Amino acid sequence: MSDPALAPDALLREPWDGLRLSEEEALSSQRFGATFGIWIFIASEVLFFGALFLFYAAVRAEHAAAFASAARETNIVYGTLNTAILLTSGATAAVASRACNHAPLRRLTLWCLTLTALLGLAFLAVKGLEYREDIAGHLVPGPGFKLPEPSAQLFFGFYWLSTGIHGIHLMIGIGLVSRLVWLGWRHPERLPGNPQVEVTLLYWGFVDMVWLFLYPALYLAGRAG
Amino acid sequence: MSDAPSAAAVWRRVLPVWLGLMALLAVGCALAYAPLGAWGVAVSFGIAATQAVLVALLFMRLIEAPALIRLTAACGLFWSAILFTLTFADVLSRLTRS
Repeated sequence: MSDPALAPDALLREPWDGLRLSEEEALSSQRFGATFGIWIFIASEVLFFGALFLFYAAVRAEHAAAFASAARETNIVYGTLNTAILLTSGATAAVASRACNHAPLRRLTLWCLTLTALLGLAFLAVKGLEYREDIAGHLVPGPGFKLPEPSAQLFFGFYWLSTGIHGIHLMIGIGLVSRLVWLGWRHPERLPGNPQVEVTLLYWGFVDMVWLFLYPALYLAGRAG
Repeated sequence: MSDAPSAAAVWRRVLPVWLGLMALLAVGCALAYAPLGAWGVAVSFGIAATQAVLVALLFMRLIEAPALIRLTAACGLFWSAILFTLTFADVLSRLTRS
């Protein structure tokens, strides 16, 4: 990173005297290490969510009709709205990650990080409204479940588990992005060029991608029938 | 990277992708109501996969990432493919649905 406006000494995580690297080289090694590390984490998360989707695919293969009628009970308006919200937050996150390595774009980075966190909160608010409607509509598996087919409860077991775990991931993302907003506001010199911005936004992008697959699995199945 | 792009230039690189993603969302939602039969699943997950590829390449910038990072990202998919293939080799052979 040869941008003279960046301050490697404010960004380096620890003294790198032992390796006798210049501060710029040390920061660029740390940046690569951070990106590499988050991608290893994302690859492990792909397997974690992959197992969930595997359950969905295997059970749907066996109980196609019950899954179709159960999926018709989800609210496609909330689902589509939330997909649009998350895609938009992905766009603001992408702008922030492109802007964060340039000191003159510090304000743009800060604004886009703020927008990203707010869109994440909007997603959770819509999800909360949807959960309330689902609970009122007896869509929680167990006694008094709305649909007669037993395997429809498997669909809603997946619905609650997957959206719950995705929601927890999103809350962690909102926390991490808010932390960067706070950092950039309190210590302006520590935001531009900080590898933590890219790491956080890569995590955000992954949480976005999980939802992109949850949307057809939960909301689009069974609509044509 | 000493000369920073303008804010407008950054938005110009992101907004077309966002528009494409929203268009795919609309198409996917509309096609879910079309009588495509068994193809419906393939279409809706195909659109989701296209969106995910766009997000990974252009929002998470895999397209400009070094080879090691791209390989790491591909590892998750590779291991998932093993997980799905071996599990379905078992599940599909024992389907009770006629």
